Amino acid sequence: MIRNLYILYGVIVLGTLAMAEYRGWSLDSVDEVKNVPRSVRDNPGSYRSVYSSYHHYTGGK
Amino acid sequence: MSTSGPNPPGPPQVRSLNCPGCGAAITLRSLSQAVTVVCDHCHSILDAQDPRLTILQKFKAAVDEDPPLIPLGTRGKIRGTDYEAVGFQRRTIHVEGVSYSWHEYVLFNPYKGFRYLTEYNGHWNDTSTLRSLPTVNNDVSPATVSYLGATYKHFQTAKAGTTFVLGEFPWQVRVGESSDVSDYVSPPRVISSERTGKEVTWSMGEYISGRDIWKAFGLQGEPPERIGVYENQPSPLSADTTAIWIAFGGFMLVLFVMMILFWSLARNEQVFQGDYKFNPNAHGETSFVTDVFELGGHTSDLELTTTSNVDNSWIYLNCALINQDTGQAYDFGREVSYYYGHDEDGLWTEGKQDDSVVIPSVPPGHYYFRVEPESDSRGGIISYSISAKRDVPQVSFFGIVLLALLVPAGLITWRSMNFEHLRWAESDYGSTGSDDDDSEDAGRPMSLGNLSGKRDDS
Repeated sequence: MIRNLYILYGVIVLGTLAMAEYRGWSLDSVDEVKNVPRSVRDNPGSYRSVYSSYHHYTGGK
Repeated sequence: MSTSGPNPPGPPQVRSLNCPGCGAAITLRSLSQAVTVVCDHCHSILDAQDPRLTILQKFKAAVDEDPPLIPLGTRGKIRGTDYEAVGFQRRTIHVEGVSYSWHEYVLFNPYKGFRYLTEYNGHWNDTSTLRSLPTVNNDVSPATVSYLGATYKHFQTAKAGTTFVLGEFPWQVRVGESSDVSDYVSPPRVISSERTGKEVTWSMGEYISGRDIWKAFGLQGEPPERIGVYENQPSPLSADTTAIWIAFGGFMLVLFVMMILFWSLARNEQVFQGDYKFNPNAHGETSFVTDVFELGGHTSDLELTTTSNVDNSWIYLNCALINQDTGQAYDFGREVSYYYGHDEDGLWTEGKQDDSVVIPSVPPGHYYFRVEPESDSRGGIISYSISAKRDVPQVSFFGIVLLALLVPAGLITWRSMNFEHLRWAESDYGSTGSDDDDSEDAGRPMSLGNLSGKRDDS
């Protein structure tokens, strides 16, 4: 019983891995934005990144 | 030994007699098979083979001192055969000043003879005497016995005494009699030897759940809860442990093959490369867009690597990967910072001059980057480059999967080992008094000697 559950679990895990590698999943955080206007190419400043208010590290030791 | 014989079939018969000690009615259910019968009123042990029911022993016990969980006279089906509970006894051992008692039930079928049930702390065994002698090997530790191709490990030996009896017995039962009992286990079975004087009786018990007993005898209510791990209680996991590690090995092989496949089949193709300079002191709009580049193939990842000559400084890039055709953007920010110096501990460094990020599941299409650099305005011009690779295999997933497969296998193995530890902690080879065993301890010696004093009197 436990063995069968483990095998099922393993198959699911390996299947998920195959899907992740094939579809290119990632652990990194990226925001998806829909319908960015074409005018950005002509006026890059018209697009504001959600990361532009990021608090930058300014230190060192 | 009273077992199956050439007796012609017929309905069970019952004979009624009177106790010569108190005159109370006595029912003989196993008829001529009974050697002794106990009066449950005056607690006289009577000679059932004697028509006058001579009193063999009288013992002191309160009325209903130890009522059987299976009332005498109850009938049930064990392994397809009808049996009637005809006898009941309590047996006790003393270990380190503590008494431990268990119960034994005598079951009778006029064609099959006797078999027995034992119960301790909610753990039950279906027991019968052996028809041939097992082979004992005392040259190993723990000692073993072999029977019908199976090997049983010695569990414990103790002197067990009979402390309470009711009903009928196919041997000369006495309260106060004792014998040396040794148990050898191979879950779910246990082989017990019982030595009284020069006579040794061997029996085999098989673990059976209380629920099955209740169902077989049609008993009301619920069986007593099991406490702890019993000497021959089958582990719910041990049978699976080896199979799970075999499965784990198979999974590792598949994982290795998958790794080779994905590494060899991944395009790992560089689709963009750009070198730039950024002056933090310059005024005006800093953002810009790159040339359009094409991402082909199926939906897969895009690994963006940023390198910079930052020197005790930092650069931060607000980036967006924008699909020119659909207007869909992947927005992210990356920082490259590198610091170093010298203090009382010596040289130190922090950060590095490159950084990478993996943008997940990017469909094929025409894309460009919008980049908006930021940095410390006190610094000078910073050079940086951006490169992008399409369809890059992610090694981190293989590590995660390895752990995801290893942890459950390890946990199951640990639980199985813990179960065996609890089992053997109560044996002659276990460490007694260990604090961590208290919660699941079934108690000291449990079912030593399943068949007290059973003799082949025939």
